Amino acid sequence: MATISRPLPGAAIPAAKQLRLSDYLRWSVDHKIIGVQYMATAFFFFLFGGALAMMIRWELLTPTLDVMSDGTAYNQLFTMHASIMIFMWIIPMMAGFGNYLVPLMLGAKDMAFPWLNALAFWLIVPAGALMILGYFAGQAEAGWTAYPPLSTIYSLGDGQTFWAFALHLLGISSILGAINFIVTIKNMRPEGMGYFQMPLFCWAILATSIIIVLATPFLAGALTLLILDRVAGTAFFDPSRGGDVLVWQNVFWFYSHPAVYIMVLPGFGILSEVLSVHARKPVFGYRALALSSMAIALLGFTVWAHHMFTSMTPELRIPFMVTSMIIAVPTGIKIFSWLGTLWGGKIHFTPAMLFALGFLSMFVIGGISGVMLAAVPFDIHVHDTYFVVSHLHFVLFGGSVFAIYAGMYHWWPKVTGRMLNANLGKLHFALTYVGFFFTFFPQHIVGMLGMPRRVAVYAPEFQTLNIIISVAAFLLGISTFVLLYAMALSLSNGKRAGANPWRALTLEWATTSPPPTHNFHGDPVPYRDPYGYGTESAFRYLEDVDRRYGVGERDDDKVPVPALRGSGD
Amino acid sequence: MDTQLSRQERMALANRRTGLFIFQLSWIMVFVCLTFVNLQIRGNFASWPPEGVTSLNLFLPTLATAGLLLSAFFVGRGLRALRNHQRAVFLTSWQIALGLGFGFVAIMAYEWLSVPFSEQYSTIFRVMTGFHAVHALVIGIMLALVYHGARSGEYNATRHWAVEGTTKLWYFVVVAWMLFYVILYIV
Repeated sequence: MATISRPLPGAAIPAAKQLRLSDYLRWSVDHKIIGVQYMATAFFFFLFGGALAMMIRWELLTPTLDVMSDGTAYNQLFTMHASIMIFMWIIPMMAGFGNYLVPLMLGAKDMAFPWLNALAFWLIVPAGALMILGYFAGQAEAGWTAYPPLSTIYSLGDGQTFWAFALHLLGISSILGAINFIVTIKNMRPEGMGYFQMPLFCWAILATSIIIVLATPFLAGALTLLILDRVAGTAFFDPSRGGDVLVWQNVFWFYSHPAVYIMVLPGFGILSEVLSVHARKPVFGYRALALSSMAIALLGFTVWAHHMFTSMTPELRIPFMVTSMIIAVPTGIKIFSWLGTLWGGKIHFTPAMLFALGFLSMFVIGGISGVMLAAVPFDIHVHDTYFVVSHLHFVLFGGSVFAIYAGMYHWWPKVTGRMLNANLGKLHFALTYVGFFFTFFPQHIVGMLGMPRRVAVYAPEFQTLNIIISVAAFLLGISTFVLLYAMALSLSNGKRAGANPWRALTLEWATTSPPPTHNFHGDPVPYRDPYGYGTESAFRYLEDVDRRYGVGERDDDKVPVPALRGSGD
Repeated sequence: MDTQLSRQERMALANRRTGLFIFQLSWIMVFVCLTFVNLQIRGNFASWPPEGVTSLNLFLPTLATAGLLLSAFFVGRGLRALRNHQRAVFLTSWQIALGLGFGFVAIMAYEWLSVPFSEQYSTIFRVMTGFHAVHALVIGIMLALVYHGARSGEYNATRHWAVEGTTKLWYFVVVAWMLFYVILYIV
């Protein structure tokens, strides 16, 4: 086996312009700056929504009202927690990853429409302001699903209208971003990179974008009607005047069910990258992974009414139950492909890998409870209980957020040029994993025992379980500070990452960290297989990248050293 | 001044074309959404229009629809003429198309104002036609601005993305209207 040669880091590469904080605070059309803007804004809202979650758990320590002044205040609390986490954290965060990585992975200089890209980000700022300003106008209190009549005649504050306008802006931002992704991926791949040579993250973003462009307009339609009902005196959702609340439920879920795939598909893409790189093995079933994303995107449009089993015409329940269960097939294909990727790999337990493994284990639980909920009799039994809360957090936190964390640890060195401390990362993982599991797993049990969701006052027999849940939730909250500390430490004096600290084959690593203004020094040539780890030629390609762009400071027991696997190992 | 497009310009043009196509595919879904809303609301009534509400008169809207279809033809004819270096044909075609488009908006504005109030039947009618009219107006104004620029010679047979883009957007207005026309007046 060849030994690692260490040439002078960054020899012959002109130094990139050093970006200052102020560069991130103003309008820029560079996709990397926009990506960081997305991610930083989303992370701010993650902390905000997390603080609200802590207040929810504080309130639920006792079966009576104590922290909140009344039920309305509690309603506002969980409404804002969910709205912020879904629309201001996970969706923009995934868009941030996409913005930063897609052009780099495709070897492009920027997105197809840089100006539109900046506009899409800057729409998020007024949207966030509107959401928060709602607190001064009688905050939204109808839940993130905003079912009428709760969101119409029973929401007197203007905050609900602000909320609807904020979501309108976020929807437009999403659509503009998605158009940009589709065009970039379709038209700007480098020579020699067909669709089936793209990194799987690009496939995931493509599938996500297809869902966004086709589903988000339905949200726009629904919100327009809601706003008209609230401010213009129409009565689309008022049965006493010939309207129908089911109109909202149908149209809202026709967007919002596909939206759950908008939130998790990019996570699937991150997982494929991280697992393959840190297990030093080609992904198992590349085509299956790529096409199952597309299958999920398409099937996702056929299942919306499974959110309405208790309110819809009974004859329609079975078809929607069947389609909902079919979704488990492409998802299962992914899970087994990832397991196949790990099988026999040389697994490095980096923080990114740990979070990816955390995703695999927790998302499977969320998937199984999803199939349980798809079964009509079971769903009717646990409808609107904590079982549903548990399920959605297993897929959204155990799925999307774990994937985001994995992606953060994986790409942080590329974005900042510095490593995150691996030991702190492992501590962060351990606290998050334990805190997460004991926050959300017991919610299955309280839900099946009959505790309804969205209540501040509950039957005293649920208190013991609720205390366990709250204490674990506080642990989960604390775990975030470990990450914040690690980030601060890395930015102030983290180890230099070099171009390719994980020795990955995708194109974003074949340039300096952080990449220069137009991303690459000359025209990048992609390695023929983005996941061809363990071959002699991949090894030589990686050596070449190291020689060209320089290696970072190494600490051999923490950072994986290159390993040759397979026949020649 | 007929020059060839550079590689970068060709790339930008390809991106714009794909981008506009995806946008049309996406935004038409709002119209599909409103169509579903209309269908679901009318499903709750024994008859549509509901009892006691008089049906809408078909004559004027059908005339407007015919005019709109004709305007789409003229807009497209103009684009083809511009590509074939027939500037005069292009300008006349767009003049006619603009006139027809204005007629459509005027007739639909009259329809919007004159539909008698009858709760669901008239409000969904007004939301749908109003939503469409916003698009017809905005894109119509874009059409007029591009026409104005074309008169002062801003576009030629190779470089005319603004002409092509607004033409395709006007097609969008027409397709969206055909969907609504069928739902509001025919079925």
